Amino acid sequence: MVSSHFEDLLSRFSRGPWPYLLVLAHIAAGTQLVYTQPRSILAFLVLVSSFLTLYFVRADLRFKFFAGALLAVVIIPLIGVRNIFYLEVIFQIAVFAALALGLNIVVGFAGLLDLGYVAFYAVGAYLWAFFGSQQFYAMYYAPGTQPSDLPFLLPGDAFYMFMLLGVVVAAFTGIILGLPVLRVRGDYLAIVTLGFGEVIRVLANNLDKPLNLTNGPQGITPIQRPTMPEGVVEFVNSTLQPLIGHRVTVADMYNLLFYLLALVVIVVIIFVTRRLDDSKLGRAWTAVREDETAAIAQGIPLVKTKLAAFAVGASFAGVMGVLLAASRTFISPESFSFMQSIGVLVMVILGGSGSIPGVILGAATITILNLQVLQGFSLYLTELRQSDAIIPIINFAWKDLSTQLDPAKYQKMLFGIILIVMMIFRPEGMIPATRRRRKIDQEEN
Amino acid sequence: MNRLLRSINVTELLRPLGHVLAFSCGSAALMSLIAVSLALVLDRTVVGADLLDRYNVTLFTYTMVNLPQVVIDGLTIGFVYAAIALGYTMVYGVLEFINFAHSEIFAVGAFVGVELLIALDATGILAGASLVMAYAYLILAILFGMIAAGALAVTVERVAYRPLRGASRLVPLISAIGVSFLLQDIIRLVESLTTGQFNRIMPTFGNFDGRIIFGKLAMGNSTITLGIAIKSIIVIVAAVVMLVGLNYLVNATRIGKAIRAVAQDRKTASLMGINVNKIISLTFLVGGLLGGAAGVLYALKFTRIDPFVGFFPGLKAFTAAVLGGIGNMTGALLGGLVIGMLETFAGSYMGVFTMGALGSEYKDIFAFSILILVLIFRPQGLMGKHVVQKA
Amino acid sequence: MALLDITRLNKTFGGLKAISEVDFSLEQGRIASIIGPNGAGKTTFFNALTGIYRPDSGQIVFNGKSIVGLRPDKIAARGISRTFQNIRLFQEMTVIENILVGMHVHFRQSAVQTLFRLPFFRDEEAEAERKALELMHYVGLKKVGNELAKNLPYGMQRRLEIARALAAEPLLLLLDEPAAGMNPHETEEITRLFQNIRDEMGITILLIEHDMRVVMKISEEICVMDYGQKIAEGTPAEIRGNSKVIEAYLGRGAVAGQHEESVA
Repeated sequence: MVSSHFEDLLSRFSRGPWPYLLVLAHIAAGTQLVYTQPRSILAFLVLVSSFLTLYFVRADLRFKFFAGALLAVVIIPLIGVRNIFYLEVIFQIAVFAALALGLNIVVGFAGLLDLGYVAFYAVGAYLWAFFGSQQFYAMYYAPGTQPSDLPFLLPGDAFYMFMLLGVVVAAFTGIILGLPVLRVRGDYLAIVTLGFGEVIRVLANNLDKPLNLTNGPQGITPIQRPTMPEGVVEFVNSTLQPLIGHRVTVADMYNLLFYLLALVVIVVIIFVTRRLDDSKLGRAWTAVREDETAAIAQGIPLVKTKLAAFAVGASFAGVMGVLLAASRTFISPESFSFMQSIGVLVMVILGGSGSIPGVILGAATITILNLQVLQGFSLYLTELRQSDAIIPIINFAWKDLSTQLDPAKYQKMLFGIILIVMMIFRPEGMIPATRRRRKIDQEEN
Repeated sequence: MNRLLRSINVTELLRPLGHVLAFSCGSAALMSLIAVSLALVLDRTVVGADLLDRYNVTLFTYTMVNLPQVVIDGLTIGFVYAAIALGYTMVYGVLEFINFAHSEIFAVGAFVGVELLIALDATGILAGASLVMAYAYLILAILFGMIAAGALAVTVERVAYRPLRGASRLVPLISAIGVSFLLQDIIRLVESLTTGQFNRIMPTFGNFDGRIIFGKLAMGNSTITLGIAIKSIIVIVAAVVMLVGLNYLVNATRIGKAIRAVAQDRKTASLMGINVNKIISLTFLVGGLLGGAAGVLYALKFTRIDPFVGFFPGLKAFTAAVLGGIGNMTGALLGGLVIGMLETFAGSYMGVFTMGALGSEYKDIFAFSILILVLIFRPQGLMGKHVVQKA
Repeated sequence: MALLDITRLNKTFGGLKAISEVDFSLEQGRIASIIGPNGAGKTTFFNALTGIYRPDSGQIVFNGKSIVGLRPDKIAARGISRTFQNIRLFQEMTVIENILVGMHVHFRQSAVQTLFRLPFFRDEEAEAERKALELMHYVGLKKVGNELAKNLPYGMQRRLEIARALAAEPLLLLLDEPAAGMNPHETEEITRLFQNIRDEMGITILLIEHDMRVVMKISEEICVMDYGQKIAEGTPAEIRGNSKVIEAYLGRGAVAGQHEESVA
């Protein structure tokens, strides 16, 4: 009974002007909440979840597109500049969504379990880190001994060119690494790619000799950013200050710039993914994933098809690497651990392997869990630890609690549980992938 | 009693000892030969000159002086890898599935064994123990580690793998990765809860840190010490005992026959009245027991363990299993020894041979290079037959 | 010249001779069958033909060129399509998509055309979709174009597999036990389908089949295999009277059981 009422209600709200009102109301409520309660995780979640409402309601595609753009390009940047912490979260979601979308091509479409995906991310990052810093001139100095007044090799604006170059170099790396190993069976491939991920990390750690290419474990810094046009900061300050509430700095604008760039990359990835999915190559990927023997019997060359998936996936990681290097102005091998690869994999699996909205949802969920929930919980524990509070019955003083119990340090547990639970109960993910329905069946009637 | 003795198949009991001996001596001799000839060649180049310049020793002498220790270390770690590799290989043989969490089964074994010894140490028993009792405690620790790891392996299979049997290949593998991550942090959580630290140090007791010296050889200004750490002897002996036992279990008992039958054809085996689920659990149990023991032995050898201690040994042992021919138990032994030797030799000599350009920091990725080469050029491994993939 | 000409083909697994010194030849436009008891090497023969196994020795000449040692996808591109004994569809893809994958070797779209949906791409896709629909109807599948392959009932899956194989516009169609698991009515329909495929499309057909009524009804030539060897060859009438064949079958009681079963 209850459920049928619910369905009634649902169908009523999916007709007429209701979906539009619902979306706008959600966005407005989210914006209002974040504006009035800048420190609340919940308010932030309400705002971000309006993307979900937007995705699920039945409404005109043009409206959806417009509303999505409004959210992503206007509202979120404004809120982000107002409260820089949100911008960081949103930026990270964007970065991970892009990575997860790239990995989704490899894992979700072609069915190749790549456990070393961040290797390509690292390639992109070190590419710009090397050419966009003083490292080129520091090559002959051991880490820590280089003078600080070395010149930069390239101007910061070369960054944009390197975003394209990152695509090419990472794709090339993907082909070089993939060529020898893509013939091996799926489960071996997983271990081999894991190995590649480790190899890249170890190389990054140790290629500070004989030539100092990566500056070893200390990492490379400072890495240049593209120049920010003179008037932009002033313009924003003069026009938008009432909305933002404080004067905007150059650093804020840079954060905004990198967020928008990440957004552009995501749009490109979605575009490419959707176009490829519905073509000869995309069908070949899915066929290979479903049944290699049957696929090859249809004339699909296995290695070539898998290589294409590997290269396309790698190229997206490459461009995000370049972006990361510039946005952080610092990179070190730490950022490219096995943990990161698994993190991206968890996003794909949780959201729904092969499903674009699913993967984005997965990336957002994991990033928010990591950055907001686990760390929020950790902060709370730290506060307790600094207080004199005691757990009543067992007489345990909070200040004796070990810092090792910090929830933020237990990402692996979170990832592990998600992977196991999803595999057992919902292997298709939160928003499962669907196949395109063609307009054919009506004609037959 | 007599009947029991007669029922033991002696040749089956002794057969693996031949393999152990042949593989150990073979890999040691081959690697030594390569190292020494490389040293002789490099001695004539700038590498040798540089060493002579700085430390007044030829590369050949340097190599020879270190050789006995390198070989022993290689053997020791090789046997540890072999014991872990057997767990991978048995499970793969039966289920065609990479038990990614096996490295954490190993780590749990190490922690349980070490925790037991730490607890004993805290009571003061270990410090005052006689030599016999010291060995008894060590064996007890190994047994505890084995039991814990074995029980865990069976539980993991039951909870996280069995529901996924019949799903596509990658599904249980992803679940296994999840289990691996989860277990790492569970170990970390449990260890942190008790002391605030997640590292553990193996207590020092007995005569395990001692060395037996056979003699010294003079060589120019240097001397070669021929000796072996008692730890190493323990690790090698324990590993060999386990290998012999496993070989006997699989090749000379009814249970072993059932395991082999399930590995060959699960469906037919079940039609023949074999309880396939039970055999699979048993396979995980045996793999877990071996992994747990390897964990305690690893802790004995390297003293310090942390929750992530299983990662690299696990990957190297997996490489060993593939190198030997996955599903092949003798192959796992050979693979483990080869990987152990290669890694130790590379770690010890690569730095000197390349004048510091490539040092021991690359030894952890050495195994991967081997894995990739094997998969490309000889995917069936050194001892595996070329098998057609089960349709 | 024959479309397919095989001489002294050998394939060994371990010590087992799966195919031993088999000669076989098939003229363009014929329907032939390979029969034989279970484990006679029939499917191995198909696998060797399509490149899944590389033969130890022997020559396979297809359409005038040797195809020994070619990769399976290259052989498929040369014009050999097949179905599998235990249906191998792309389960998570729709019926139409399965057929489109079958057309893989005929697509000419480039990456740029794909990414920007250029006219050539759109035309090619539309034309392919039309053809796929046509093929779907041809094999007797109606109104299921958007269904996932895994959701089709068994008989329809068999038909879809045939449509997928036909999509490649092959010269030679290999069918591995296409009537297995079908009821007499379905069997009759599918037998007619094979005849149509040959008569209307001019595709040469080679099939492995256990159902003797199918074999005897549509084959123009029959090749009998046992223990990896070809033991007899001829028209259905000749095979029916061949003492070696009767021995191979009746010796193990295979055909008797099969026959009664299918008659009953």
